[in-house]
Amino acid sequence: MIADGIEDEEKWLSAASAGLQQNAFYMHRALDSNNLKDALKYSAQMLSELRTSRLSPHKYYVLYMRAFDELRKLEIFFYEETKRGCSIIELYELVQHAGNILPRLYLLCTAGSVYIKSKEAPAKDILKDLVEMCRGIQHPLRGLFLRSYLSQVSRDKLPDIGSEYEGDDDTVMDAVDFVLQNFTEMNKLWVRMRYQGPAREKDRREKERSELRDLVGKNLHVLSQIEGVDLDMYRDTVLPRVLEQVVNCKDELAQYYLMDCIIQVFPDEFHLQTLDVLLGAFPQLQPSVDIKTVLSSLMERLSNYAASSGEVLPQFLQVDAFSKLNNAIGKVIEAQADMPVLAVVTLYSSLLTFTLHVHPDRLDYADQVLGSCFNKLSGVGKLDDSQATKQIVALLSAPLDKYNNVMTALKLSNYPRVMECLDIETNKVMAKIIIQNIMKNSTYISNGDKVEALFGLIRGLIKDTDDAVCNEDDEEEFKEDQNAVARLIYMLHHDDPEEMFKIITIVQKHILAGGVKRLPFTVPPLVFTALKLIRALQNGDASKAEEAAAAATRKKIFQLLNQLIEALSNVPAPELALRLYLQCAEAANDSDLEPVACEFFTQAYILYEEEISDSREQVTALQLIIGTLQRMHVFGVENRDTLTHKATGYSAKLLKKPDQCRAVYSCSHLFWADDQDGVRDGERVLLCLKRALKIANAAQQMANATRGSGGSVILFIEILNKYVSSFTFVEYCTVRFSYENQGSIMTRCGSKFRYLYFFEKGNTQITVNTIQDLMELITTEMRSDNAATDPAAEAFFANTLRYIQFQKQKGGAVSEKYEPVKA
Amino acid sequence: MELTMSINYLLGAFKPACHISITFADEKNRKKVPIKKENGQTVMVPLFQSQENIVGKISVEPVQGKKIEHNGIKVELLGQIEMYFDRGNFYDFTSLVRELDVPGEIYERKTYPFEFSTVEMPYETYNGVNVRLRIDDPEDPLNLLNNTAQCGATLTGYVLKVTISRGYAGSIVEYHDFVVRNYSPPPSINNSIKMEVGIEDCLHIEFEYNKSKYHLKDVIIGKIYFLLVRIKIKNMDLEIRRRESTGSGANTHVETETLAKFELMDGAPVRGESIPIRLFLSPYDLTPTHRNINNKFSVKYYLNLVLVDEEDRRYFKQQEIMLYRLAENSTSAVSML
Amino acid sequence: MVLVLAIGDLHIPHRAPDLPAKFKSMLVPGKIQHIICTGNLCIKEVHDYLKTICPDLHIARGEYDEETRYPETKTISIGQFKLGLCHGHQVVPWGDLDSLAMLQRQLDVDILVTGHTHQFTAYKHEGGVVINPGSATGAYSSITYDVNPSFVLMDIDGLRVVVYVYELIDGEVKVDKIDFKKTTAPSHSPH
Repeated sequence: MIADGIEDEEKWLSAASAGLQQNAFYMHRALDSNNLKDALKYSAQMLSELRTSRLSPHKYYVLYMRAFDELRKLEIFFYEETKRGCSIIELYELVQHAGNILPRLYLLCTAGSVYIKSKEAPAKDILKDLVEMCRGIQHPLRGLFLRSYLSQVSRDKLPDIGSEYEGDDDTVMDAVDFVLQNFTEMNKLWVRMRYQGPAREKDRREKERSELRDLVGKNLHVLSQIEGVDLDMYRDTVLPRVLEQVVNCKDELAQYYLMDCIIQVFPDEFHLQTLDVLLGAFPQLQPSVDIKTVLSSLMERLSNYAASSGEVLPQFLQVDAFSKLNNAIGKVIEAQADMPVLAVVTLYSSLLTFTLHVHPDRLDYADQVLGSCFNKLSGVGKLDDSQATKQIVALLSAPLDKYNNVMTALKLSNYPRVMECLDIETNKVMAKIIIQNIMKNSTYISNGDKVEALFGLIRGLIKDTDDAVCNEDDEEEFKEDQNAVARLIYMLHHDDPEEMFKIITIVQKHILAGGVKRLPFTVPPLVFTALKLIRALQNGDASKAEEAAAAATRKKIFQLLNQLIEALSNVPAPELALRLYLQCAEAANDSDLEPVACEFFTQAYILYEEEISDSREQVTALQLIIGTLQRMHVFGVENRDTLTHKATGYSAKLLKKPDQCRAVYSCSHLFWADDQDGVRDGERVLLCLKRALKIANAAQQMANATRGSGGSVILFIEILNKYVSSFTFVEYCTVRFSYENQGSIMTRCGSKFRYLYFFEKGNTQITVNTIQDLMELITTEMRSDNAATDPAAEAFFANTLRYIQFQKQKGGAVSEKYEPVKA
Repeated sequence: MELTMSINYLLGAFKPACHISITFADEKNRKKVPIKKENGQTVMVPLFQSQENIVGKISVEPVQGKKIEHNGIKVELLGQIEMYFDRGNFYDFTSLVRELDVPGEIYERKTYPFEFSTVEMPYETYNGVNVRLRIDDPEDPLNLLNNTAQCGATLTGYVLKVTISRGYAGSIVEYHDFVVRNYSPPPSINNSIKMEVGIEDCLHIEFEYNKSKYHLKDVIIGKIYFLLVRIKIKNMDLEIRRRESTGSGANTHVETETLAKFELMDGAPVRGESIPIRLFLSPYDLTPTHRNINNKFSVKYYLNLVLVDEEDRRYFKQQEIMLYRLAENSTSAVSML
Repeated sequence: MVLVLAIGDLHIPHRAPDLPAKFKSMLVPGKIQHIICTGNLCIKEVHDYLKTICPDLHIARGEYDEETRYPETKTISIGQFKLGLCHGHQVVPWGDLDSLAMLQRQLDVDILVTGHTHQFTAYKHEGGVVINPGSATGAYSSITYDVNPSFVLMDIDGLRVVVYVYELIDGEVKVDKIDFKKTTAPSHSPH
C-alpha cells in the first residue's frame, strides 16, 4: 500500500510537472512576443498545477521550485512591461481577474513585487495587501508555500532602515509588522496540518509537518536580519508578538521548534536583555514540549556569550540572569506537573553549567541550583531512569570539571544532598568521577572533616550494599572501583602528623565498616600510609616533649595497624595479612619497639601455621619471614632465638625437598648479621648449610629412586655457592651514581660480607674439605649415566668453577685460602 | 425575425431599386459599441443615451437610370421589446416619426436631414439570455476569453427605420440599429451588505460586502468571517448570477445564469478566520439592473456565496446587488489597496 | 640498537596511586622494544598499561602481585646478551650482592635485573651486571628510606650496553648512564 502510494505520488508529480512545463512553454512564448494577455493566461494555468492535493510536502516542494523559477521570469517580464509604459496599477488589478485563487495570489505577489519596486505606492500598503490577500489560502500546505513565496519575493523590498523602500510613510515598523503577520499566518497553517487528515496517518503527518518547519522559521530569520530591529523594537514588538503566537498555537512541535528558533536566530545580547519576557513564555508552553532541550540550549548560548568577552559579563549581573533563569526553571517545573525527572535534572544541569561559566565566583549560585534540584528530586525517590541518572551525573560532574578541585564541590552544602538521591549504581559512577577528578588534579584532601565529607559522598564505593556481586563483569568492575578507592587514600594527606593521624583514623573507621570484601583493596594502602606516617614521626630534630608525643602517636598507629590487618582475617586473606604484619614488624624494628615487633611477628607466624596451606604460598611466605627476620635487629637474644628457631623449623617442614633445602640454607643468614652489633654465629651458619646438604642428599636419593632427573644437582651447586661465598672474602665494586659530584660515577671499593674472615682456622679447613667434597659430588652426579644432561646445571657449575678460579687468581689473602681448593 | 433583411444583398432575389443610407450627424466622433448579431457577427453600432438629440441625414439614391415613385418617406425611431417566448412580436415602447418627403418621384440622389430632439429612451439596450446559444468554457480560469458572452435575442433594442412608401411595388424599408446606455449617478445611499448566516452547530459565517449597489466597473470588497466551522470545507466561491424574469403571473418565466465564478478561498478555515473578498466586475459582461421594464421583464443581479465541503455538498447564500452604469468619464479609479 | 625498559615495584595502588606523570609522558609507545619488569605491579591495570608501552613484556613475580602465575625467575635473550629477571624477595639477604651473584651464575646471564629494595643500583660484577631499577613510583619500602621513583633503560647494541637510569628527584627527572661492554660470553669461555 505504502509502496503504491509512493509510486502514485511519483506519477502525480511527473504529471503535474509536465503540465507546468507545458504551460510555462506557452508562457515563454507569450513573454517573447510581449503578449501580456497570453502571459497571464498561461502563467495562471501553469500555477494551477500547484492546486494539487495529492503530493507530500517533499514532492510539492519540487513542484513549487519549478513554478518559482518560472515566476522569476514572469516577474522580470512584468517589470519590463512597466518600463514599456504599462501601468503597474492596472497590472496589479489585471492579475486579480483570475478566477482561481491560488494562481491569482501567486500572480498578485509577483506583480506586487514589481509594484513595490516601482514605488508608485508605499511599500507598506502593498505588503499589507499581499499578506492580507493570502488569507484566501487556508489549505495548510498550499498556504505555507504561497506565503513562503511572498516572504521570498518581499525580502529585499522591506522598508528597513537604510533600504531604498524606507520613507516617511514606510518605516521599519511596517516591515516588522508585515513579517510578523506572515509568520503568524504561516504558523497557524502549519499547526493546523496536525489536525487534518485521518488519525491513523498522524505519525506520518507529523513527520511531514516537521519537514516544513523551516518555512515557518524562515520568517524569524528574516526578522533577525532586519537592520532596524534593535533591542527596543525586539523587546517591545518582535519578541512579544512572536511569543504570543508560539504560546497561543498550543502545538508541541511548533512550540519546541519556534522557541529553539528564537534562541538560535536572534543575538545573545537581545536574549540577555529580554530574559524576563522570553523565560516568561516557557511555563505557558504545552506540557509535552521538550523544554529542557530548548532552555538548555539558551543557557549554553548565554554561557558562550559570557565567555566571548569580558565586557558582556556586567550585563549578566545587571539583568541578574542567573536568578531569572533559576526562577524560570522553577516555574516551568511547577507548571509541568508531569515533567519527567530527566527533564528536571537536565534543566538544572544546564543552569549549573551556566552559572559555573558565567559566575564562577558565585559558589552560592551553584549551591542554590543543587538545592533546587534536590528539592525536586527528593520528592520522587531514588532514580531509576537511566537517562536521568546520566544527566544527574553530568550535573554533579559540572562543578568538578569547572573547578578541578573536589574541595570546591565539598563546599557546596547541597552537593551531598543531591548525591543522596542517587541509586547505588549511580552513586558509584559519581564516586568514581569524583575520585578521577581528585587523581587528575592531584587534589589533596587535607583534613579530617573533609575526608569525612568525601567519604560520605563516595559511600557507594566504600560500603557494602544488599545487592551482592554476582557475575564476573561485576567482579572486574568491583576490583576496578576498589583500586580507585585505594588510590584515593593517597590523596588524603596532611603534612602535620597529628592531623594525618586523624585522617587515617577516619579512613580506618570507614573502611572497616565497609564490609570484608573491600578490605584486601583498602587495607594495604592505609597500612602503608600509616607506615609512612610512622617514619615521618621518626624524622626531625624534635624536642624531647615532641619526641614523647611522637612516640605515643607511633604506638597508637601500631595499634591501629594491628586492628586493620587483623580485620583481614575475616576476609580471609592470610597471605596479604602476613606480608603486612612483616612490614609492620620492620617498622617497629626501626622504631625500636621490640614487643610491638614481636607481636607482629607472632601474628605472622600464627597465620603461617594456621592459615596458609598452599605449598607454593608457604614457600613465598617463608622467604618473606626469613628475609624480614634477617633484617631485624631489635630483638633480644631470647626473642631472636625463638623466632629464628621457628623459622628454621618451618623451613624443614616445607612440602618439597628443594624448597626445604633452599629455605634452610637461607636460614644460615639469620646467624650472621651484617653490622658489628649483630649476631655472628659461624657455627650455626655451617650447621644450616650442612642441614641443607643433607636435605639435598635426601632429595637426590628420592630422585634416583624415582628415576627422575638430576634436578637436585642444582641444589648441590647452590649449596656449593653458599659455601664458597661464606668462605670468600668478597671484594667487588659497587657502582653507584652520584648526582651531587658533577654527575660522575663514583666507584666504591668495599668489603661488605667478610664473615668468613672471622672464622676460626679449623672451621675454614672443614669448609675447604666440604667444598672439595661437594665439587667432586657434583662432578660425579653430572657424569652419571642415569642423570639426564642438564645444560642449566652445567652452566651453573661452570660459572661457579669459574668464580672460584677467579677468586684464586686474585692474589692476596683470598687466593691463599682458595689454594687448597682444586677447581 | 429578419431584423436585418434589408442588407441581405447576397440573396440576390430582389434587386433593390435604391440605396438608402442613414448617417448620424456626429457619426465620426460618436462612440461605438459592439453588438452581437444573431449570426454570431459582431458589429459596431453608435451609442446614445436618453435625452439626446438624434440628428442625422438620410440619403436616397435610386439605382442608376431608375426613378422611384413613392407615396412619402418617413423615418421612425423605435424602442422595442421582444419577448423570447413570443419571438417576432415587437412591443414598441417608444415610437417617434418624422415625415421626410411628400409623395413624389426621385430621380437622383436626395438627402433628408432629420432630427429627434431630446428623445426619451428610458430603457437601455439589453441582450437577454439565449440558452441555446450560450457558450460556457469553465476551463478558462481567468475568464478573459469572455466566452460566456451571449448571442441572444434582443429584449430591448432601438432602431431607426426609414420607410419609402410605395403602392403596389411594396415599400422600401431600411433599419439602422443603435445602442442606448443610460448612466446613473452614484447612489446617495449605498449601504454595505452584512449578514450572519449558518447551519446550526455546523457552520456559522458572517459576510460583508462593502456596498449593495455597484457600478459595472466596480470592485466588490468584503470579507467572510468564520464563526463556527464543523464541516470540512474544501473551497469557497463567490458567484455573480443574473436573474432574468419575463412575463407576469402564470406566464412568468425566469432564467438564471452564472456570469462569474470567483474562487475566494482554498482549503478549510478554522474558527476565527477572516477571508478577504476583492472581485473586480470589469471583466464580466454585466448590465445594469433592470426592474420591471414596461411590465414586461426584469433583470436582477445576485452575489452567491458558495461553500463546498469535502463531500461536494454546497452551502450557499444569495444576496441581490444593484448594478448601475456609471458615466465612464466619472468612473473614478478604483483603489485596489 | 635495542631499547629495553627495566621497571618494577610500582605497588599500585597499595603504595602509590600511579606512575609519576613525568615518567608517564616519557614512556610512550613505539620507542621501547622490550620491557622487563621486576614485579609488584600489583594489579592488572598496570600490566595493561605496560603492555601499551610495549607488547613484549616480561614479568617476574613480586610478593604482592595479584597475578600469581608470573614466574619466579625468567631469562630473556636480547641480541648478544642474556638477561635474567627476578623480583628478589626470594634471595636472602635482600639486596645482597653475593646472593644475587649466585643467582646470576645460576641463571647463567650477563645482566641480572632484580627489584624489591626500591633502591636503584647497578653493579659491574664478574664480567656481568646486576641491576636494580628501583621503584618506578617511589613506593614505600621497609628496606630503603626516602625512595625516589626510578627506572632503567638499557640500550643494547652489539656487545655494548648503555644503562640509563631515570630518577625523579624533587620533581625533576635526572638521567645518568653507565657503559658496560661484554668481552666474552661467560658461559662458554671461562678464564
